[in-house]
Amino acid sequence: MKISVNWLKEYIPVTHTVEEMANKISLTGIESSPVELGTELTGLVVGHVTSVKPHPDSDHLKVCMVDVGEDEDIQIVCGAPNVAVDQYVIVATHGAHLPDGVRIKRGKLRGQESNGMICGLDEVGVPAKYMPEEFENGIYVFDEPQKPGTAVYDLLGLKDQMVDIDITPNRADTLGMRGAAWEIGATYDEKPSFKKPKLNTDKIKDLNDVDVEVEEKSLVPDYLLRELKDVKVGKSPLWMQRRLWNQGIRPVNSVIDAANYVMIEYGQPIQAYDLDKLAEKKLVIKKAHDGDKLKLADEDKVLNHNDLIVAAGEDILGVAGIVNGTVAQVDDNSKNILLEAGVFDGASVRKTAQRHDLRGDASNRFEKGVDNGIVSEALVRATQLVDETSAAKEISKEIVGNYTEAKPTVIEGSVSHINHLMGLELSTDEMVGILDRLGFTVKVDGDKITVTIPTRRWDMAIEADLVEEVNRIYGYENLPNTLPAGMETRGGYSQKREFSNKLRDVLLGEGMDEAINFSLLSKKEVDDFNVTSAEYTKLLHPMTEDHEYLRNSLIPGLVRNIAYNQARNNKDLSIFEQARIFARPKGQARPNEIEYLSGAISGNVMLDSWNTKAQKVDFYYLKGIVDEVLSFTNTDAKFEYEATDDYSNMHPGQTAKILANGQVVGLIGKLHPKYQKDHNVDETFVFELNIDALFELNKKSIKSQSAPKYPSVSRDLAILVKSDVENAQIISDIYENGGKYLNDVTIFDVYEGKNIKTNYKSLAYHLEFLNPNDTLTDEEVEKAFSLVKDSLVEKFNVEIR
Amino acid sequence: MSLDDKLKSLRENGIDEAKRAQRLQELNDLRVNLLGKKGPITKALRGMKDVPAEQRPEIGTLANNVKKDIQQAIEEKMTELNEKLVAHQLEEEKIDVTLPAAKQVQGTKHILNQTIEDIEQFFIGLGYEVAPGYEVEEDHYNFERLNIPKDHPARDMQDTFYLSDELLMRTQTSAQEGRDMEAHDFTKGPLKMISPGVVYRRDDDDATHSHQFHQIEGLVVDKNISMADLKGTLEALCRHVFGAQREIRFRPSYFPFTEPSVEVDVSCFNCDGKGCRICKYTGWIEVLGAGLTHPNVLKMSGIDPNEYSGMAFGLGPERFAMLKYGINDIRDFYLNDVRFLEQFKGVN
Repeated sequence: MKISVNWLKEYIPVTHTVEEMANKISLTGIESSPVELGTELTGLVVGHVTSVKPHPDSDHLKVCMVDVGEDEDIQIVCGAPNVAVDQYVIVATHGAHLPDGVRIKRGKLRGQESNGMICGLDEVGVPAKYMPEEFENGIYVFDEPQKPGTAVYDLLGLKDQMVDIDITPNRADTLGMRGAAWEIGATYDEKPSFKKPKLNTDKIKDLNDVDVEVEEKSLVPDYLLRELKDVKVGKSPLWMQRRLWNQGIRPVNSVIDAANYVMIEYGQPIQAYDLDKLAEKKLVIKKAHDGDKLKLADEDKVLNHNDLIVAAGEDILGVAGIVNGTVAQVDDNSKNILLEAGVFDGASVRKTAQRHDLRGDASNRFEKGVDNGIVSEALVRATQLVDETSAAKEISKEIVGNYTEAKPTVIEGSVSHINHLMGLELSTDEMVGILDRLGFTVKVDGDKITVTIPTRRWDMAIEADLVEEVNRIYGYENLPNTLPAGMETRGGYSQKREFSNKLRDVLLGEGMDEAINFSLLSKKEVDDFNVTSAEYTKLLHPMTEDHEYLRNSLIPGLVRNIAYNQARNNKDLSIFEQARIFARPKGQARPNEIEYLSGAISGNVMLDSWNTKAQKVDFYYLKGIVDEVLSFTNTDAKFEYEATDDYSNMHPGQTAKILANGQVVGLIGKLHPKYQKDHNVDETFVFELNIDALFELNKKSIKSQSAPKYPSVSRDLAILVKSDVENAQIISDIYENGGKYLNDVTIFDVYEGKNIKTNYKSLAYHLEFLNPNDTLTDEEVEKAFSLVKDSLVEKFNVEIR
Repeated sequence: MSLDDKLKSLRENGIDEAKRAQRLQELNDLRVNLLGKKGPITKALRGMKDVPAEQRPEIGTLANNVKKDIQQAIEEKMTELNEKLVAHQLEEEKIDVTLPAAKQVQGTKHILNQTIEDIEQFFIGLGYEVAPGYEVEEDHYNFERLNIPKDHPARDMQDTFYLSDELLMRTQTSAQEGRDMEAHDFTKGPLKMISPGVVYRRDDDDATHSHQFHQIEGLVVDKNISMADLKGTLEALCRHVFGAQREIRFRPSYFPFTEPSVEVDVSCFNCDGKGCRICKYTGWIEVLGAGLTHPNVLKMSGIDPNEYSGMAFGLGPERFAMLKYGINDIRDFYLNDVRFLEQFKGVN
C-alpha cells in the first residue's frame, strides 16, 4: 500500500524525505520504497475557458481562448470533444513538461496559433484506468471554479510523495492509513492523533426498512449496516477523488468513493447497496448453492456451496468480503443506501477469491485480517462521509447482523527473558518506553510486564511477539554479534554422506564433471530406465508433462545433458551425478529415496594431440572407472559383472548388471543404438550404482601384512577357446586349480580374427605364483601350472598354444 | 737402452697414447696392453735380474711410478671422454618445453555443490551436524510443524507439488527442523544442525525461478540462544563466503516458524556498500531469512520454550553462487553445459 505523506501529516508530523522514511521503515518494520509522483511535471496550471470557436480548417478541432491568470487570455487549439465555455481545465503552458518526456511548445495547428495544451488526467500522469470514467475520452474539467493560473499539482495530487510499503502477511494492520500512522509513528517516536467520526444526531432515526440475518455466524463475527435515506448521489469531492486515484482506485460516485475511502483510511472494507433494488428487504449472509450465479459487469460467476454470499431474496448481491454484483449497485439515481461493514473469515474469503479469480483490495484485507475493534467506527465514518457528500435526510441506527466484542490481547512477559532472547540488557524503562511508542499499555511488576495490545495489532499474541517489537524498534543494528555459547558439540557429516563423498571423489579424480539434474521427469523418461521395477511416483498437479514423475534413474538426466552438450559441439563428455532416485514399493504411498551415483561418457577419452592418438570410450574404459569406485567401498563383498539384455534401452551385447555378493547394485553398458539416435547422442556408455546398497555391505577389516620378502615366479599361458566362453569363467577356473601359491591372474591378450579359426578366440594370461614364506621351486610351480592347463582342457576344451 | 730409460720411454709413450685416445674402448685396450700381465712394463721388469742389487729398489719404485702415471693419464682421459658423452646426450635429449602437456584431467565439482560444501564446512567447524532430510515430505513436517496450519495465508507464499493430501515435495529444508528436534537428546547438549538439500516449488522456470532449487536450513536449540547469537553466526558466515570486510544487517520480516523473523542483508561485496548495479544502488544485498524459533514450533517438538530457545536460518546456494560469481540465469545450473561447469574448477 502507498502511504501518502500529505495524508499521513493529518495524523503525525512528518519532517523527513520519503527516501529517508522508506529506509528507516524498512529497517525497523516493513519493507518500503519511496514513490515520488510527477517529479518531471512543470508548467501545468488551471485555465478558465472563456470562448470556444470552431476551427476554420478542421471538423473536430476547436479554437479556445483560455484565461491562465495572465494579462491576456491565450489561444489554444483543442481536439477534445468535451471542451466547452466556462470550464476550468488543466492547461499545459508553453514549455511545460509532461510524463514520458513530452514537452509542450507554442505552435500552429492547421494554421491556428496554439499556445499550450488543454489536458486530460491521463496526460498529466493519472493512469487512465484510475481516472473518473466521464473524462476517459476527453479533457479533465474541474467541478468547481479554481483560480486561473494556479498550479494544478496539489489540487490533483499529481506530485504526491508516498512511501510504498510491502507488507508481510502478519502486518495487515498497516493496510489502512491509521495503522500505517501508528507504525511509522512508532519508528519516529510520534504518537498519531485521530479525529473521531461523528454523525448528525438530528438525522438519526429508528428505521425499520431492512432486516438482516447472518446464517454463518462463525464465519461472520461482525456484520453491521446503516441505512441512509433520500441521498443525492453525485460526485465525491476532489480531495477524496485525488486520494483514491493515487491509491489506484477509480472514483465512481459519492457513495462508492466514500466506502473505498474508508477502506484506505481504516483498513476496513465497506460495501454499499441500493436499498430500492433489493428484491426482498432482508439481507441474508449464507453459503451459496452450487450453481448460483453472481452477476458482475462483464461476466457471471458460477458459485459453489463453499462461497459465502450476501443475498436478498432470490438475488445474490455479492460474494461476502470480496465483490458486489450489479444487482444492487449504487448509481447516480440511487436514493436509499445501505452501507455494510463486516468481518469475514480470512480462509473462507481467500479460497473463494482464489476459486473465482476475484482477489482485490477488500479480499486482500479480510484474508490477512482486519481490526474488529473499529468495525463500528469505520461504518460511522463511511456514513458520515456519504452524508456530507450526498446529504441524507435520515440515517438509521446501527443495524446488527452479528457482533463480537473486540477484546484487547494481554501478553505477559518478563523483562529478563525478553532481554535474554534478544541478547541485550535493556532497562525496564527502556523496554516500556518502546512498547508505549507502539501504543501498547504496560503494567510493570518487578521483572514481570503485562502488556495490553490494542485490537488493531491482532498479530500480537505471545511474548516472542514482544521480543520482536522491542528489538526492531530498539534497532537490530544495535545488537551485538555473539556466537551460541553452550556446550561444545562435534559437527560433521553422517557416515553415509562421508561414504558417498568418497565415491564421488573417485569420479572427480577420473576426470568426470559433476552434473545436477531435475528430479521431476516426463512419463517417457521414467519408462525408459525403470531399472528398479518399483511403482512410479506421480505429482497430483504437475505444471508440465516434462516434470510429472519423480525420477527412478539418473540416466535420463545425464543423457539429456550429453545431448545438450553435443548439440553445442561439446563432443567429448564425461559426466556424473550423485543424487536420489525415488522407488515406491507396491501399496506404499511414500517412495523410498535412494542415493545413486551415475555416470555417462561419450566421445573420446583421450584426445588427438601432437603426441597422442585419440581414443574412443569403450565398455572397458568405463568398467575401469566403476572398478575403481568399487575398490573404494572398503568392503570384502564380491563384485561381479553379469551380462544382461534385460534393459530395453541398453545395448543387449554390451551391458552388465553389477552384483555385490550376488545382489544387483547397479548396471553398466552402452546405450542402445536406437535410444542414442532418438535422443541425439553419439555412442554413449553409462553406469549406475546404488550407494545405499553399497554402503550397507560388510566393511572390510584390514589386518596389515608385511610385503613378502621372497620373489614371485611367473608363467604365461595362451589358449584357444570357443568365443562364447567368458573371461570370468577361465579366471575362476585357473584360481580353482592353481594351488595355494597362485597369487594373481591377469589377462594380457584377447584376439579373434585372422589366423584364428572361426568362433574361436585366443586368450593369454599371466599367472603369478608366490610363497610368502619360502623361495618357490620350479617343480612346485610346474605342478600347479599343469593342473591349471589340464583343467582348462578338460572343462572348456581349450587348445594350449 | 738401460732398463731405466726403457721404463721412462714406456711412460712417455703410454701417456701420449692415452691423451690421443678418442674412445673409451681405446683407453681400456691401452690399459690392458700397457699395464696388464703380458704388457711391456711387466716384460721390461724381467730384465731386473741384470740390474745391480743396490739399484733394484730404485728401479722398482720407478716401475711403480710409471704404472701409476699411465694409470692416471688413462683415468683423466676417461673422465674427459665420459663428460663429453654426457654433454652430448644432454644435447640430444633437449626438448621444447613450451609444447602442450599430455593432459591430466580431474573433473569439476558442480558449482552448487562447491557452494554448499563450503558452507557445510564452515558450520561443521562451528560444531554443526549435517542432516539432509527427505525430499518427499509429509505435509505435517513441511507445514504444520512449522506453525503453518492449513488455510494459513503463508501457504500462498509457496506453491507446493503435492503427491497426495499428506505427501508433498518439500518446499523448504526447514521441514527437517521438526524431525531433528524430535530426535535430539538435549541431555547430551545443544542441537546444532544444518540441513542442505533440494526443494521444490510450483514455479515456472525462468531466469530467476526454478521449480527445483537448493536450500540450507540451519537450526540451533539450546538454553541461551539469542538474536545476538543469530546475528554473530550469520555475520561470520557472510564473511566466510563473501569476504572478511562484510557486514550484515537485519530487517524485520515474517515467517510463521520464527519470531522474531528477519531478512538478512550483506553489505555489497562489489562496491563495498557504496552502491552499484548488483546491490541496486542500496549498498546491501538480501541473502537469507532467519529468526528465533517460534515457541509453537518448539512446543510441538516437545521442547519447553521457557527453558529453551532456538535460532533458525535458511539460505539459497543458487542465490549465493549467482551473487558471488555473477551468474545471471538460474537455469544455467541445471543445463550442465560442461563449459559452464568447468569454469568453476577448484573455486571452493
